[in-house]
Parts: sequence; C-alpha cells; structure tokens
Amino acid sequence: MTATALKTELLTLGYRDRIVIQDLTLELPDGKVTSILGPNGCGKSTLLKAMARLIQPLSGHVSLAGEEILKIETRALARRLAILPQASKAPEGITVADLVKRGRTPWRGLLAPWSEADAEACERALREVGLADLAERAVDELSGGQRQRAWIALVLAQDTPYLLLDEPTTWLDLTHQLEVLSLLRERNRAHGTTVVTVLHDLNLAARFSDHLVLLGRDGLVETGAPEKVLTEANLEKAFGLKALVIPDPVTGTPMVVPR
Amino acid sequence: MKQTIGLCIILLIAIALTLGIGVRDVTLMDMLQAFIAFDPTNPVHVVIHSVRTPRLVAALVAGAGLGMAGTVIQSLTRNPLADPGILGVNSGAAFAVVVGALLTGRSDSGWMSAMAFPGAALAAISVFMLGGGARGQAGPVRLALAGTALNALLLSLVSAIVLARNETLEIFRFWVTGSLAQADVRPLAGMSVTAAIGAALALLLAPRIEALSLGSALARGLGTKPARIQFGALLAVTLMTGSAVAVAGPIAFLGLLVPPLARRVAGHALRRELLASAVIGASILLYADTAGRLILAPSEIRVGIMTALIGAPMFIFIARRLRPGAST
Amino acid sequence: MRGGLVLIGLLLASVLLSLMIGQVMLSPVQLWTGLMTGTGPASLTLRVLRGPGIATAAGVGAVLGVSGTIFQILLRNPLAAPDIMGFMSGAGLAVICGIAFGLSLPLPLLAAVGGLLAAVAVAMLSYRRDAAQAGLTLILVGLGIGFFTSAASSFLLTRLSPQDASDAQRWLSGSLAARNWGHVTQVFGLAAILFVITALQVRALALLELGDDLATGLGTRIRRARYGLIATGVLLAAAGVAVAGPVPFVALMAGPLGMKITGARQPGGRLFSAAVTGAIVTVLADLAARSVVPGLQLPVGVMTGILGAPYLLWLLAREMEAGDL
Repeated sequence: MTATALKTELLTLGYRDRIVIQDLTLELPDGKVTSILGPNGCGKSTLLKAMARLIQPLSGHVSLAGEEILKIETRALARRLAILPQASKAPEGITVADLVKRGRTPWRGLLAPWSEADAEACERALREVGLADLAERAVDELSGGQRQRAWIALVLAQDTPYLLLDEPTTWLDLTHQLEVLSLLRERNRAHGTTVVTVLHDLNLAARFSDHLVLLGRDGLVETGAPEKVLTEANLEKAFGLKALVIPDPVTGTPMVVPR
Repeated sequence: MKQTIGLCIILLIAIALTLGIGVRDVTLMDMLQAFIAFDPTNPVHVVIHSVRTPRLVAALVAGAGLGMAGTVIQSLTRNPLADPGILGVNSGAAFAVVVGALLTGRSDSGWMSAMAFPGAALAAISVFMLGGGARGQAGPVRLALAGTALNALLLSLVSAIVLARNETLEIFRFWVTGSLAQADVRPLAGMSVTAAIGAALALLLAPRIEALSLGSALARGLGTKPARIQFGALLAVTLMTGSAVAVAGPIAFLGLLVPPLARRVAGHALRRELLASAVIGASILLYADTAGRLILAPSEIRVGIMTALIGAPMFIFIARRLRPGAST
Repeated sequence: MRGGLVLIGLLLASVLLSLMIGQVMLSPVQLWTGLMTGTGPASLTLRVLRGPGIATAAGVGAVLGVSGTIFQILLRNPLAAPDIMGFMSGAGLAVICGIAFGLSLPLPLLAAVGGLLAAVAVAMLSYRRDAAQAGLTLILVGLGIGFFTSAASSFLLTRLSPQDASDAQRWLSGSLAARNWGHVTQVFGLAAILFVITALQVRALALLELGDDLATGLGTRIRRARYGLIATGVLLAAAGVAVAGPVPFVALMAGPLGMKITGARQPGGRLFSAAVTGAIVTVLADLAARSVVPGLQLPVGVMTGILGAPYLLWLLAREMEAGDL
C-alpha cells in the first residue's frame, strides 16, 4: 500500500438543507491517478471541491498528506494542490500564454517580477499539452479540445504535487478525451503528480486510472483498483445498471458493456 | 364585486381629498354646490372650478392612462418591468417640447403640451424597437437599459438646449418631473378625448393581446395577426401616455406600480385588468399628489417625484423576483 | 506598448487642443510663452481660466475610467459600471443631502459614504439564493437604486432655495465650471492613493476573472479580494463625483474604448488604458461643453450623456446579437 495523499474522515457535505454526501471516509493513494465515478447528482464534484477546500464541509474533515486542509494557509495550499473546476470561461480575448501565466500566481510575491522559473513552468506546461505553437493565439479562437488543454496548462503551470480536475473531458470528442487523459497520466508518470479527476466515462476511467472511487446515490460503493471496483454487482448498486464487465481487448482493463 | 366597490370607494375618497385639501379647505357640501349650483361670486366655488377641478381631471386622465398603458405594455412584452416612463416617454416629451419651443419661439402651455405628444410617442416606439420589442424579445434588462440610454441622451440634449437658451428653469423642471399644478393651462379637453380613444382601443384589443402574450407562434395558431395587434396596442399605449404627459408632465413608474395591483384585484382577464388599472392608476396619482402637497406644505413636491420615490423600490422588488430563465 | 503611447499622445493632444480653444483662441506658441514667462493672456488662461478645469477633467476621467473597468472585469460584464449600477447617483445624493441639511463635511467623504451605501444596498438587494442570472439581477437592482437616488435627489432639491436648487441641479448633471487648483489637487491626490491600492489588487482581479473556484485554487481569498476591489472601485467613483458631480457614462465607456485602442487584454493594461481614455473622453467632453454654444459653459455631464447614450444603445444591440442579454 502506498502512502495516502488525500483523506476524508466522516465527511458530510451539502448545500443548506440538502445533504449530498454523508459521513464519507476515504483514502486516495499518493502518486497515483485516481478517478471518482458515479451517477449524476451523487456528489462527485462536490467531493472534489471539498478536497480542494472550495466548499466547507458540514462536518468531518479532509487532510492532505496528514495535514488538515483547513489549517493550511491559502497560498501554501495553492502551491501544493491545484484544482481545475468544470467548464471555466476564459476572459474575452485573452491569449493562451496570458491565461497560463495566471497559474503562476501562488508562486509570485506581491511585487515580485516575472521570474525565469515562472517562464519555464509556463513553457513546460504549454509543451506538455501541445499548445506551444498556439501560445499567442486568443483562447476564444481555439477549438474545444485546444481550449480545454489551455486550461489544463494553467493548472500544470501551477506546478503542484497534487492536481484535481473536475470532468476535464466533458464536451470533448473521443480523440480529445484520450489526449487529455494521456497527458494527465504522463504528468503523473513523469513527475509523480497525484492526479484526481471526476469522470463520466467508466471505460476511459478504468483505462487511465490506478485507483477508482465509485459513488452511488447512497454514498460510497467501492474503492480500489479498477478490477476491484468495476464489477457487475457494484455497477448495479451504483447506477442501477445491468452490465457485463469484460476485459478491454486493447488494454486488458475492465470494460463495461451495458446489457 | 366587493373589490370593485372597494376600488370605487378608494377613488372617491381620493377625489374628495384632491378637491378638498389646499390653501383653502373646502367641505363636501361646497363641492357639491360648486357643481350643482355654481356661484361665480363665491371664491370657494371659483377655486373648485378653476383650480382644483382641472387638477383632478388632469390626474384622472394621466393616472388612468398611464395605469392602463402599463398594463398593456406588460402583457404585450410579458415583462414585469416595462413601464411607459422606462420606455422614455418622459424625456421624449421633454425633448419635443424644448425643441418645439426653440424652433417656433412659442412657449405657451397649450402649444408645448401639443408638442409633448409626438415626442412621447416617438420615444416610446424607439425604445420598444431598440429593446427588441418588435421581435418579441423585450426582456426586462434590455428594455430598462434601452430606456435608460435614450432617457440620458434626450435629457442631456434638453438641458443643453435649456441652458443655452436661458429659458426659465421652471419650464424645464416641469418637463423633467411631472406636476399637476396649474393643470388649468393644459389642453385638458382634447387630451381627455385622445386618452379615451386609446383606452377604448386597448379594451377592444384586449383578447387579442392576451392571445399574443402566449407567444407569437401560438397566437398565430389562435388566428391572430401578431404584427397588426402589436401596432394597435402600441398605438393605444401612445395615445394614453401621450395625453398623460401632455396634461401632467412626465410621471415615472406609475405604469410599473399599477399592473401587479390590477392583476391582484382582477385576475388574469385583460379587460378587467385594464379597467382596474384605470381606477388604481388614477387613485395612486391622486393620493401621491395630495401627499406631495401636504408633506412640505406650503411648498409642494411634484407628483412625478412622489411616484418615483414609491416606484423605484417597486422596480427593485420586481427585479428581485424575476425568475431565472424567464425571458431576459 | 505602442497602443499605450498612442493613448498618451492622444491625451496630450486633447489637453493642448482644449487649452487652445475657447472664447479667446490661443496658439501653441502663445501658450508656450505664457507657460514660460508667466505673463500675458495665455498665462491667465493657463493658471486660472482653462488650466484647472482641464486638469480636473483629466483627473475625474481617469478615476472614473479605472472604477468602471474594475467592475467590468470583476463582474465580467461590459454593462457593469458605477454609473449604470447607481453608485454614482448614490454619491450624488449624499452630497445633495449634505447641502440640504447643511452638513459641513468634506465632499469626498460625503460622496464616498453615499457611493458605498449605494453599493451595499445594491449588493444586498440583488442577493438571491439561486445564483442563476445573478449578473442581470445586479444590474437591474443597480438601475433601480439609480432611479431611487435620483428621485430622492429631486425631492431634496424641492427643499432648497431656488438659487441653491439651481446650483445643485447643475452640479447633479456633472459640471466642471469654475474649478480651481484646489479641486485639481484633491482629485489627483485621491487618484494617486487609490491607483496604488488598485495596482496592489490587479493580480487578484486577474484571478477572480477566471472564476471563483479557480481563483481559490490559485490561492486567492476570494471574498476578501472581491470586497477590497468593490470598495476601491466605489471610492474611485466617489473621488470623481466629489469634484465634478455624477458625470455619466465615462466609467462605462472608458474601459472598452481604451481596450479597442491599445488592444490590452490583461487587467493591468486594461486599467491603464481605461484611465487614460477616461481622461481623454472627459477633457474632450469638457471642451465640447465649453465651445458648442459660444459664451456658455454647459455641464460636462450633458456632453458625456450625449456621447455615452448612443454607446450604451450600441452595446445593447451588440449584446442582443450575441444573445447574452
């Protein structure tokens, strides 16, 4: 068993009177790619937001590498953990390079000039997402896949050991989905970055993740390696879906085929 | 039925207050006598005849006209923030008056009131068009902003002209915020008839406007011709607001205040709503005017300021309640 | 960068033009001699007649431009400006209150209090549980507050003597007549302080522009940052109102216009170009207000109204095309 990156203890989340997640205790492994799966409205995104401290839990807590997340200073946290929310809208007319630069904010002092390290991190991020050639183009002019990669470059430039992404593949066609997920896994393999994503596509999640968290309407169904999580019984429990699980003919990871 | 009687009583009290309160207090008996057996040597009768009755008539024409116009516009656009004042009637009238006075050199009240009419109409139609009304998209934000923009433009031009020509500030002030004072010098008879024609047109078209407010596709399905009804309804609105402005100056927000109240009293039947709007509009204007005369007596607060002070909070209240996703 | 120089060139040209044109026409040479020797008619024009008014116009335009742009970036809406959202008429109302009730407080303080109160009122009244359409509600409520404060100002005018009322009316439409170097010092002093405060917040503004969640993820305390920016924006608007009255539409126009000229996309660049463009617009509007009718100084607000209203209409038409409204 590897070390624990993010841990939730008896975490209860919700908005006003509506409880979304109740007493969830969960451990996500360090240096791995984890995907959170589950039906619409099960609280996947809410859970991710709580892990990034975007929302306050009603009770329980989240810890990052053993430290309680609420006690970490805002900027210090931003240097360790990056979050890309769902469907962000770029300011009108901003260029890719300018957008990515803003990812360096947590590393810059109030009056500090733009440093060599900042420039390097941005260039690296742009290279990793394959947008180095388009750096001076306006974000609005890009295709959907390129735009999403520009946003991912922003959080890559943030240069954190933990990277959280909320549905990074929504609105993308299959080719771009594969592209985005492989670049996240490359980041993980090359830098040991812990990646946590919320995903919809079970088969892609199984392909690209080391660890899965399957949520159902009534909370956690199963967590662990893809083979352990994506079973016919678990899918029935989480989605109410009757499905056949067979090995993916290409990768051998579990593949879900609805009956 | 009970509500109808209630409304009538409210209006009658307002009328009595308007006739009765002033520098010279008048009793109910005096009022009756002044109308039944007019005595030109009795100063009380003279006051009632020459000062207070014109004021009353002006308020009735303006109040009923603006109330009904507001209800028509709101049903037509399905926009609870639509109001003749927001449509730029105020500034359109002011602009036309000042330009008219500038071009012709005449500044008597009758002439100026006549000029106010086309100005109000043109402004209302422009804002309606600019706000996307013709395409059935006159959402609250658009209409309000288009009106604000046109108001700002016209009022800037008006103050430029007024300051340049050194006309008295008093004329300017009347055409910026309405007042019922000195209503006797305004063309009451002609404007009453005009407003009545507008009201009749609105009542006539009411069922068609109701059909149109369901959306133009459905309205076509119900056998109406949307463009023609829109034109008719706008004409009615113009006739009523134009005459209101001509007799009372620009009165803001009355068209915003009245429709929700009318709907509460009359339910969702446009003809009944229109009748209720007329009574409610006239009552509100009369009470606002009376209050304006009493608060800082002996000086008088223009009724246009009074309605704006009540109406602006109402605007905010309605804006807050707009449902997200409702046509914007 | 080049755009910035073009803008500054335009500003200098408008100031020069404005100094030259008036009841007495002056050539650049005369102005130069006047400036150098301190004597002659040009010197009087510079020191007393036109100089202070033009400098005030530039200062007022700059603070209003920056104020409008802060709100436009923060709310990501080109319609969000202190004049549209009622902050400026709130500031105006406070000043009229001061006059009507004989309060002897400094105008900037009154204007700031009025502007902040209006902003608080708008924020509180437009708060709703469902975040949907929050931007539109904000603008509508702002318009409503504007309507109310204007009505209240008219109400208070009734209480004043005819002479005071006429002065106050003039002030309410935004006037730069009879400004002296005291006004100039005041607006530039406040501008200097507030621009430094703004500069310190530019980075937070750039992050808030990306959306709350991402901004938090990048280490911003969003609530604090947003309140700070709103307060700065309102105070900037109040600084302008205090010397020139609620001059309409400069705050609305300056940002987008400046962006067109310089092509600036980043908040820092946008704020800079808004400041310079605001100054240009106000100086030119003041020039027009002085010279359209010979022998008469119109309130500068009249001219910005005539310029700004068509812009607002155009903006509406464009937003409608884009389907954003």
